[in-house]
Amino acid sequence: MTSASSMVFTVVVVAALGFFAYNVQRLVGELRLGHRDDVRWNDLPRRFWNLLQIGLFQKKIFRDSVAGPMHAAIFWGFCVLTLGTTEMIVAGMFPGFSFAPFVPAPLYRFYEMNQDLWGALVIAAVSFALFRRLTKRVKRLQGKETHADDPLLILSWIGVLMITMFASHATTGVLHDLFWWSHALLVLGFLNYLPYSKHLHVVVSLPNVFLSNTSGPGVIGAMRPMDLEGDVAVFGAKDVTDLSWKSLLDGFACTECGRCTSVCPANITGKLLSPRKIVINVRERLEAEAKGDHSKTLLDDFITEEELWSCTTCRACVQECPVSIDQLSVILELRRNLVLGESRFPAEVMPAFESMEQRGSPWAFDPGDRGKWAAGLDIPTMAEMAERNERPEVLYWVGCMGSFDDRAKKTTVAFAKILKAAHVNFAILGQEEKCNGDAARRMGNEYLYQMLAKDNIATLDRYGVKTVVTACPHCFHQIGNEYPQFGGNYDVVHHSTYIESLMAAGRVPLREDLHEPVRTFTYHDSCYLGRYNDVYDAPRETMKRALPMLNLVEMPRSKDRGLCCGAGGGRMFMEEKVGKRINAERAEEAIATGADAIAVACPFCMTMMADSIKSRDSHVEVYDVAEVVAGRLAV
Amino acid sequence: MANTNVFAFAESRSGELRRAALEAVTAARGVADSTGGQVHAMLAGGAGIGALAAKLAACGADVVLVLENPGFANYNPEALAATVAARLSAGGYRAAFFIASAQGRDLAPRVAAKCQLPIAADVTEFSVGADAVTVKHPGYTGKIIQSFTLRAATAILSLRPGAVLPKESAKPGTVEQITSAIDPSSARVVVTSTVRSEGAKLDLGEAPVIVSGGRGLRESGNFKLVEDLAAAFGNAAVGATRAVTDEGWRPHSDQIGQTGRLVSPQLYIACGISGAIQHLAGMRTSKTIVAINRDKEAPIFKVADYGIVGDVLEILPVLTAAVKEAKKGA
Amino acid sequence: MKIAVLIKRVPDMDLRFKIASNGTSVDESGLKFDISDFDGYAVEAALQTKEKQADPAASEVVVISLGPDVVQETLRKAMSLGADRAIHLKCDTPVHDSYAIATALAAELKGGGYDLVMFGRMSIDTANQSTGPIVAELLGLPIITAISKLGLEGGRVKARRELEGSYELIECPMPAVVTIDEGIARPRYPSLKGIMAAKKKPLEVKPAQVGEERYKLDKMELPPERAAGRIIGEGKDAVPELVRLLKEEAKVL
Repeated sequence: MTSASSMVFTVVVVAALGFFAYNVQRLVGELRLGHRDDVRWNDLPRRFWNLLQIGLFQKKIFRDSVAGPMHAAIFWGFCVLTLGTTEMIVAGMFPGFSFAPFVPAPLYRFYEMNQDLWGALVIAAVSFALFRRLTKRVKRLQGKETHADDPLLILSWIGVLMITMFASHATTGVLHDLFWWSHALLVLGFLNYLPYSKHLHVVVSLPNVFLSNTSGPGVIGAMRPMDLEGDVAVFGAKDVTDLSWKSLLDGFACTECGRCTSVCPANITGKLLSPRKIVINVRERLEAEAKGDHSKTLLDDFITEEELWSCTTCRACVQECPVSIDQLSVILELRRNLVLGESRFPAEVMPAFESMEQRGSPWAFDPGDRGKWAAGLDIPTMAEMAERNERPEVLYWVGCMGSFDDRAKKTTVAFAKILKAAHVNFAILGQEEKCNGDAARRMGNEYLYQMLAKDNIATLDRYGVKTVVTACPHCFHQIGNEYPQFGGNYDVVHHSTYIESLMAAGRVPLREDLHEPVRTFTYHDSCYLGRYNDVYDAPRETMKRALPMLNLVEMPRSKDRGLCCGAGGGRMFMEEKVGKRINAERAEEAIATGADAIAVACPFCMTMMADSIKSRDSHVEVYDVAEVVAGRLAV
Repeated sequence: MANTNVFAFAESRSGELRRAALEAVTAARGVADSTGGQVHAMLAGGAGIGALAAKLAACGADVVLVLENPGFANYNPEALAATVAARLSAGGYRAAFFIASAQGRDLAPRVAAKCQLPIAADVTEFSVGADAVTVKHPGYTGKIIQSFTLRAATAILSLRPGAVLPKESAKPGTVEQITSAIDPSSARVVVTSTVRSEGAKLDLGEAPVIVSGGRGLRESGNFKLVEDLAAAFGNAAVGATRAVTDEGWRPHSDQIGQTGRLVSPQLYIACGISGAIQHLAGMRTSKTIVAINRDKEAPIFKVADYGIVGDVLEILPVLTAAVKEAKKGA
Repeated sequence: MKIAVLIKRVPDMDLRFKIASNGTSVDESGLKFDISDFDGYAVEAALQTKEKQADPAASEVVVISLGPDVVQETLRKAMSLGADRAIHLKCDTPVHDSYAIATALAAELKGGGYDLVMFGRMSIDTANQSTGPIVAELLGLPIITAISKLGLEGGRVKARRELEGSYELIECPMPAVVTIDEGIARPRYPSLKGIMAAKKKPLEVKPAQVGEERYKLDKMELPPERAAGRIIGEGKDAVPELVRLLKEEAKVL
């Protein structure tokens, strides 16, 4: 490299970096169009851990056993090759520059070897990727909302980059210069193409993983609290300017891989909803808004009501995203705008809203009947205990389904029997219990939700409740993870976890039946127990301890890949008119395992599974985990 | 001098006397027997309405005031109210009976207002004393029985349909032709037509037997099974729940419930009806209730005297055949 | 167009009621209150009428309620649905005489310049179905009751009333009073936006000029409990037994 050409190159580099900086500034400006009050500097240890696991170690990428290694090769290769590229560019500006003088010779040779090794891996991976895209018709890579040509361009570009790199090493003279300059220009060009492509994820994904709140303990799944007292201009979000800057960043991080959409229960069963489309729409609308187009809004012009109401809030999309995008938060903010701002929601939901407001339960049952399931079981209410100046060890929060629904009541009674057999000192709230409010909140009705939550917290605090056990994952999630937003702090345990701990302590007397036939069970993971709260093992362990001859088979989609039953997100109260029923999809999967019974740990899942099983005249039985244990009590 | 006569409004429609007319006259007769006064029944309608006077006499009308005028062929609320009010204001009436039918609920308060008198509406029991009238009236969708005292020289009572059973008590029924207090064509409120609903036979308020269908019938075509059972009884009307009228399977006027029709037949057969509170409010006072439902925990079984658990689509045809048999023998 | 809607605050009818110790009112503990069902349809019909006007902003829906201070909650609820302003006719003791109530309502409505005065066809608790017609008479306005379909054309109200097994097509000139039956409109759900806006809408309090009460409540009691019934069998095999019971025991066949 002559000094003249190095000067020219320096000018090129400065120009390229300058243009890139301009785009960075432009994009940051776009992020500023969103809400600023979203702090992401908290909980640094968790953030760094996520960055390491999900970002650097590609934990979520590997969930796809084919694309996983392929992408990891490209990404890790990219990281390694960046070193070489940096050395090369600096050498281009300052001829003779090299890392060699700065590191021990063996290390430098190791570094050079890796440049070649990873370069080769990248070519292989990129070739496979192109082959896969062009010939395999992978379903999740297709979709109307995707930019189909971009990936082909990028993959080819990377391929040519690798080829020019190898070629420049392998040649001398004019040919070397040609390949060197090609490589350098292609690299700088690539960098500057990123802001205009979905491949911006190269720059944004690691920061996005760091800044995201999608991986972590239960409270992570909590919805953003809303202040309803002050003068609020917009409830929830109608357009991108109403979303948090972080949701807008999510739009830049998305690489349109489609993993989220491929696990969405609504999309799988033929509904319009596609989590990927939600994220792509955010970016599209943001770019238009930044260019001065104020004639459209994200809600209605890009994302329709039909898409929004199909969501069961199961969090599979969030779980699956390799760059920690939170698709669900956008859906929920738009729902809030529909309900709080315009009272727009499926007509069949209105009776549920009115009933929750008037009667503290989404169904028109007399609140006075709440404790009736306990008749004759000698279970005190908190009020009765308070009168005797007593306190229970734990409060059994029954929930609306468990109190009023005939099938769920059997689970309630079963769990109560277990508590009695274990001599647990417990009480129930009876008539003083109100709906936990989850369905209202997830449907966007924050006003109704806060009314219910605050009433419940007042009741719990009045009795000085510290520990709560509940058989309903929605109650579990609400009381444990979201009530703290309003000052309600309690230790909440799901009944399966509680039963397991009782069993481990030897407090549950089980029958000694040596001639039990083998029972083949499959367990259906509840979204609000599993993905929202990481409780996967307790129900399984509980069943194993209870049933000596248990053959537990797993469905293909289980644990954090479990398919939703279809009832979450308020969908229990909505009609399902499009495509295949979600619970039918799940029931088929369950039946296909060959199990003779399905175990659940949630009254909504119970209803959805039982309804679907019954409608296909199957003989597979459905039990709650508590019923499985109660059936084995030595009484 | 104390008022001793008793007025009864005899409702008619399209030239036919309605059951409400006989109930009103019977009620009036009972009071007149204790006051020693006369029962004056008023009948209004188009040409030929006077021919119905004899039926009123048979139930106890001493005098039948006949208002025969083409301006009353359709219900003419303002002219009718003015005429009745004029008659009552002329004096001598201890009480005026209306029946709280669709027409009576419209007419009676108009009359009360014109006479500047209080009104006891939707009354199920009453006792007319010398200076006070005590009545019972269900409220809160039938969940509370309220007792009231009415004080007025002329007590205006609007009775719940079916509260009084028409009774024979033959009286002269002397016809007195009367004229409208105002020119009927000057009335501001005009009924332009009265239309019989499609296929309507017996009305829910008048039928001794009601066969009612709910969501358990699964689709609107299955309502035929309900109609067949009603036909087998011969004297039954067909009702529906709100769930079913909201879906459009049956017209809104068939809805029995809190915001629909309140019925009190001798026999109520609930087919595929779960027994939601809103529905129970409309039929809880039926004398005998039969329920057919697939779900043995359905709330309807708590109010039913006799319940059958099973598929309503299977059971109805069998029941229809059995009822036909039973009716043949009777 | 100026529309007045008369509304009443009533308890939720889905609950079981207990009589208060004074014997003349319902025990309010645990009860939730809302706009009476038919009044709710009237409010919705009024709002839809306003929205259909050529210039909706030039129309006004005024809600009026008679009762103690708590009825202001119900008036705010009506405003959260879209009513423009409210008038509270303050009366702390319950009144059961429709004529006496109508006197107070008419006194307020007179001179209000309303094109339409709307009532629910009856209040779901006291269920007298009389107040509307008496108010109309006191105002000297035409009234059509229990409307199931409402149309306004050329300064006239054109309506449909359901009868028993038939219906009437009926009309009158405006200004007029109407009472609304079910079927005209499904009440809307208040948005939080509406609820917040309602807090700022005008609510005027005036003393109610209730007339002389000549119809007084003596007592309230619960109806006799229905004797428990029984499930007599399952499936079509139970039919012969049912027919036998209907014939011999209930004697209705």
